[in-house]
Amino acid sequence: MPNKNGNVYGLTILSPIIEDAKATPSHDLQIRNYLAKLSTREDSPFALAPGTHLARLVVMDDVIYVGAPSSEEHLKSKYLIFESNCDGDLDSYLSGLAATIPDHLDAIWKHCVGYPGAANRQAFIDYMKACQLETTFFFAAVNNKSVSETLRALQTQTAVADFIASHQGANPAKLKRDFIQFVSQLKSMPLPKPGSMGPHREIKTGGRNE
Amino acid sequence: MSKLNETDIQGFVLRGYNLPFARYLFLHFEDAKRARSLIARLLGEITTGQRWDKGKPQSTVNIAFTFRGLEHLGLPDATLRSFPVEFQQGMKPRAQILGDTGANSPEHWDDLWREDRVHAWLGVNGLTMEALDARCLAILSIIEETGGAGALASQDAAAQIVDGKPTTKEHFGFTDGFGNPDYLGVERSSQPGQGKLLSGGIWTPLATGELLLGYADEAGELPVAPVPHLLASNGTFMVYRKLHQNLATFRAFLDKQGSLYAGGKEKLAAKFIGRWRDGTPIELSPDNPNPAIAKDPNRNTDFTYGTDAEGARCPIGAHLRRVHPRDAFGFNGQLINRRRITRRGLPYGRFVPDGEPVTDKEERGVIFMVLNANLSRQFEFVQQQWVQYGNDSHLGNDKDVLMGNHGGHGKFVVQGDASPANPPFICSNLPDFVELRGGDYFFLPSITALGMIAMGLVDPR
Repeated sequence: MPNKNGNVYGLTILSPIIEDAKATPSHDLQIRNYLAKLSTREDSPFALAPGTHLARLVVMDDVIYVGAPSSEEHLKSKYLIFESNCDGDLDSYLSGLAATIPDHLDAIWKHCVGYPGAANRQAFIDYMKACQLETTFFFAAVNNKSVSETLRALQTQTAVADFIASHQGANPAKLKRDFIQFVSQLKSMPLPKPGSMGPHREIKTGGRNE
Repeated sequence: MSKLNETDIQGFVLRGYNLPFARYLFLHFEDAKRARSLIARLLGEITTGQRWDKGKPQSTVNIAFTFRGLEHLGLPDATLRSFPVEFQQGMKPRAQILGDTGANSPEHWDDLWREDRVHAWLGVNGLTMEALDARCLAILSIIEETGGAGALASQDAAAQIVDGKPTTKEHFGFTDGFGNPDYLGVERSSQPGQGKLLSGGIWTPLATGELLLGYADEAGELPVAPVPHLLASNGTFMVYRKLHQNLATFRAFLDKQGSLYAGGKEKLAAKFIGRWRDGTPIELSPDNPNPAIAKDPNRNTDFTYGTDAEGARCPIGAHLRRVHPRDAFGFNGQLINRRRITRRGLPYGRFVPDGEPVTDKEERGVIFMVLNANLSRQFEFVQQQWVQYGNDSHLGNDKDVLMGNHGGHGKFVVQGDASPANPPFICSNLPDFVELRGGDYFFLPSITALGMIAMGLVDPR
């Protein structure tokens, strides 16, 4: 079934970018500039808002003519592409974005044709859905768990590994006592922030080995 | 694919010589004309890939150049700028990409590699120390006669000799040198487990273009190569890395962890690598080393991980499973066929038997060399994604237990199962067992290309 794979939703949105000869710099450049300055870690807007496994924003200028024998074609406008692997229900996901990061959304999408603003929640959701394309192919690294389940699992995995490592060979009584304490601590540990658990790298593009 | 022209390809590319002594000479070119006359003189010395029907030679000589070296040889700009960017940059500026940070960062490298002065690598191998010395003297006198280069430094490496016979042991005590990939057209006694996996569990050689420039690779494309084609064809790229081994740290760590692990120290060592120290794959023989398997080329690389998805026999993070995951990522291994590398190299430094006093400080390690058609897609990918990161094998941020740049924070999980001798076990606070001391990226040209370079006939048009 398109758009959904288990509990994970594959969202693809193409929003036409305003073409205005009087705008300086042009709207697409303004979007590019804004996107280039966003964090890709825990302070990324999509880490602050709930429900995003992975999000990507791309400005698509045109299709590129690669020479004969292909024929030269052009898009009707420039587009902002928004792709997201997110949790579950689309309405609540979009609603969550609008509620948490309205300033970011407005700063990006105000350069797109017909964008109503995030403040008008229903109009925002309707707009995004009007721009939606069907997603049939998903990024495979997301399993069938929600973002918070995934974060909790990663936290548990790390904590349990640390616990085992520091208790290998401990006597059963101490092990039991410490484990009971550990489990109660683990339950009350705050959820790690999305985007916080990867390795810290100084390469900004996030690409593999470009 | 027809047979390759072995007279045009440097022998070092097509086969591991298994000659126990090596000296790597590092040259600096002062003057392009004199440097080219040196290459012309050396041409007759270079060992090609021709078969050794009359038995092994006493010694071999091979040559490769850094990008800076090619600049100093006076190659045309249009050719120089057509080399892949990672080769143009060299290994040092790639440190962030490779995870060569912390103790491995260039500021800790040997002077030779911090100074950007290496232009050429001359790899000399010998059957005996005397043969090696004699050949190096001969080469050095050619260098002197032509005035074509200054010798900046040399690095000796040698196999450990036990009872008069060279071994393939490295300093941590593991038997090394199993399982380089097979490539189409390379004449070699092929071993099951050494190419790419086809459905039905059959192994077949990889496309030639994964090793050599000028041939189709696994995607059916020609590898990115400089112009003209004749300069690139039958050549390859080489990575040279001097990997220091902290032997005292390794032994102390293994003793301590081995005493806590119910499977015992030797089994834990085997779990680190994926082979018992004698080379027996733990995937095939999880409970003990089995010399019959270790010594049998038809068995010692012939295994897959399909029935060991949980890592009960061979841990998911074991070194050999990380760097050659075989079928572990599904799709009949197709996800890894463009990430294979050919390795060469020998240990350097004094071997110290287990139990004798040893320090980390002493010069000791392995000269690790990689041959591949595409540095970025093959070596750099393996180093970045499979050695210094764990996501592809679902190990999160964990790094390779032995090669990883842990900085004291690493973790290695032995998955194990419910049996008492094979319990799950976690090693944490991993120190750095191996540290990078320098190296660079080299272009290893064909014999034809060496001739073109020597004669100043490289024409990019």
